[in-house]
Amino acid sequence: MPSTLSLTVNGRSVSAPAEPGERLSRFLRERLGLTGLKEGCCEGECGACTVLLDGEPVNSCLVLALQAEGCEVVTVEGLSGDGLGDLQAMFIERGAVQCGYCTPGMLVAAEGLLRNNPEPTDAETRSALAGNICRCTGFQTIIDAVVATAAARGQAGDAA
Amino acid sequence: MNFVGRRVPLVDGAAKAAGRLTFVADMQGTESLHGALVFSPHAHARIVTVDAAEALALDGVLGVHWHANTPANHYNSSIWHIDQEALADERMFPEIARHIGDRVAAIVAETEEIARHAAALVRVEYEALAPVLTPSAALRRIGPATGAEGEPTFDNPVAEERFAFGDPEGGFAAASMIVEVDVSTPRSHHCAIETHACRAAPQPDGRILVSTPCQSVFAVQAVVAQALGVPADRFRVVKTPIGGSFGGKAEPILEPLCAHFAMVYGRPVSLRFNRSETFVSTRTRSSVTATMTLGLRRDGRITARQTDIVVDIGAYSTGGNYLPGSMLQRLVRLYDVPAELYRGRAVYTNTPPTGAFRGYGSPQIHTVAEIALDIAAGRLGIDPVRIRARNLVAPGAIEPRGGLDLGNARARDCLQRGADAFGWTARRAIGQGTGRWRKGVGVACATHINGCYPAEDEETTATLHLLADGRVQLILALHDLGCGADTTIAQIAAESLGVEPAAIDIVAADTDTCPYDLGTRASRMTYICGEAVRKASSALADRIRNDAVLDLNAAAGDLVLSSASVWRGDGASLALSDLAARLVRRGVDLPSATRTHRATANPGSYAAHFAAVEVDTWTGSVRVCDYVAAHDVGRAVNPMLVEGQIHGGIQIGIGYALYEDVAIDPRDGRMRGDSFSRYVLANAPEMPPMRVLLVEEGEPTGPYGAKAVGEIATIPVAAAVVNAVNHALGTELATLPLSQERILEALARRDIPAAAE
Ligand code: FES
Ligand code: FES
Repeated sequence: MPSTLSLTVNGRSVSAPAEPGERLSRFLRERLGLTGLKEGCCEGECGACTVLLDGEPVNSCLVLALQAEGCEVVTVEGLSGDGLGDLQAMFIERGAVQCGYCTPGMLVAAEGLLRNNPEPTDAETRSALAGNICRCTGFQTIIDAVVATAAARGQAGDAA
Repeated sequence: MNFVGRRVPLVDGAAKAAGRLTFVADMQGTESLHGALVFSPHAHARIVTVDAAEALALDGVLGVHWHANTPANHYNSSIWHIDQEALADERMFPEIARHIGDRVAAIVAETEEIARHAAALVRVEYEALAPVLTPSAALRRIGPATGAEGEPTFDNPVAEERFAFGDPEGGFAAASMIVEVDVSTPRSHHCAIETHACRAAPQPDGRILVSTPCQSVFAVQAVVAQALGVPADRFRVVKTPIGGSFGGKAEPILEPLCAHFAMVYGRPVSLRFNRSETFVSTRTRSSVTATMTLGLRRDGRITARQTDIVVDIGAYSTGGNYLPGSMLQRLVRLYDVPAELYRGRAVYTNTPPTGAFRGYGSPQIHTVAEIALDIAAGRLGIDPVRIRARNLVAPGAIEPRGGLDLGNARARDCLQRGADAFGWTARRAIGQGTGRWRKGVGVACATHINGCYPAEDEETTATLHLLADGRVQLILALHDLGCGADTTIAQIAAESLGVEPAAIDIVAADTDTCPYDLGTRASRMTYICGEAVRKASSALADRIRNDAVLDLNAAAGDLVLSSASVWRGDGASLALSDLAARLVRRGVDLPSATRTHRATANPGSYAAHFAAVEVDTWTGSVRVCDYVAAHDVGRAVNPMLVEGQIHGGIQIGIGYALYEDVAIDPRDGRMRGDSFSRYVLANAPEMPPMRVLLVEEGEPTGPYGAKAVGEIATIPVAAAVVNAVNHALGTELATLPLSQERILEALARRDIPAAAE
């Protein structure tokens, strides 16, 4: 029997039915229509389904939807406001997006890193993204984009 | 140049980064049915009967499909046009399963969950047949193997290619040293992050719309028609955005099933493979075992070369019969070898089928040749860069197989400039060290083709229309595989038209609206489609200037297109949108232009790659710590995207050298590496810093001088890494991937003392 799940997704409170065995990734994609979130393996190995769960990056394919009761979830859809977010814009500018299938998960994982560590080094960024597979870019432009966003945010913070 | 040569961001970048691009798995709709497959657990077995009673009893299950109730038409999934002759040995559901993971049956149900649950309840009775699991076993069984009732299943070898050039006997006799090397390369998998998926939906006119992330809508249409035994015009195929392909989505796999189910049920049907299904039941890169024999003079000049290569193409022909010839074609375009002997054989085995994977034979043959050449250089005592410089082809060289001109072949520039940037001479001279970590550097070169000329009628047609709002629509069956080909093509169009690349509307490849095109294969997008677009856009620019003569009161030849306007010499201008509005008011057709480009050349793209590695003699693990890639691209239409291709190619190549192997067990044919936990990729921490050097000397036959980069990007990588490891350890390892176990074994064999710490 489905139960009703209530949680905050991208800043909005939502309630929707969820089956006991339903994965959070399917719940977000199919019940809430957040298809920006991708699935590449459903085994916790590729990171395409990364969301922030109470601020921490997790593979949403490994989380049961009902475990997210009362939690705050951020998906790629939550990274842009009226326009693209700064990290998204930097990904595009630096060539960190190719096919775009890993991109939503990669962006969310990177956002999670930057919230916990506003000035990550190249090596810290690489290890923070170690669970996110990209088959197109070789990662270099992704790492550059994350580090450059951190620097830009730092400058904006200093200026403020 | 306004747009060619610029680092223009992807035209669809914002949609991708926002998660707004609709991939086929994102096309939701409650009206859609879903399918789930049942796969063979046997490497070779007759499917006697399928009992789906329990599955069919579930709520929401509509039906079961297997060989007894689906069309029995045989087809070959690698064909690219209707009525193409090919060895048709595949069908939607075979009577005899040929590999573990072969399609046995499918359940169609209201939801994917129900379909998968039901598929697990299907009981299949098999009659096991003797499998052929390794290429050596295949070679021992030349001629048709037979199924239980005497019907032929395999006929090995599938193909054999022989080639002789010059005077091999004389060449070997003249050599000061003859070096024979055995190399083997693994089965690898594309690992596109988007798994295989497809959707088919009946249309009001009774036709079936197939939406699929594919590399050629026309190939999909041809294969679906053949598999279903239904005329091709009953199917409209549209390309969806694609979450990576690398050749893995070049051959239709789910599309025939999906179209068939949509016809049977008269409702839309979605099929989606999970990750392990994508590993075992799509395509892999064929493995090879090869012996290469090189005759060399003391100065490193090759006097003769002999290659004997066996390609394991797996359970179905697909295009595997072409591989021995393709490998030869690629092999002879890199070095000026005066005498050549080649024998390539492709064999079937009861293992998952193989197909295109970024280079179609090129990664295999160049890995073999570049490792062999390095080992030869080591035995001769010649520097690996020197030996390559001594033998590389020069611009304008003619290759010996087809007599084709290799064009402005800048292999030597790549080697020299790459070596300088890498600091090759100094780094090669530094010792390997004696501690736990041994250092080494390696180099490898490669070449690849530009399109299908002369084997195919290599032509395509581009049409450009000025739209009423001043934008420009491009009609050409373009299949951007995610690497930004649409952006590159838009830049080429924008260059003559003076509009931003983002103002070029590229319609998705569609069999209903686009003229035939061979699709994204053979590194032909920029070089072939790009040239058609260059011609058409320059023709449209002429039309626009002519149409503006009246309004700007100037000769067409004095008008210039720029900033989305037509300009007169004195600075007066007319926006394209205004021109369009005036033409519409006057009742004049908006300008458009169509041009067909037919290729009459197939120049080579070239590359030289340099890798630095550290090998841990305790654990056998290899770290690639620095990387330089120099590429002859003729001209980079978009340097950022070219670098992106090369970066991604290096990731795939490092995996090919060190980790990636679907690891088919030779005892039972089971794939061990069928998930991301067991099929290891180079992830962010494993990737070295990469420097890319572009050699842009221009190819006269390419659009604005451009040549291909997509496939060659990955071709030299594995050999460069393996050569670096061999330098670090003083070994001659040539069985890929260089797993930790293989390295530790080699260390034990060679008795290299692992330093104490
Ligand atoms: S889909 Fe969740 S980790 Fe791959
Ligand atoms: S951009 Fe294609 S997988 Fe990362």
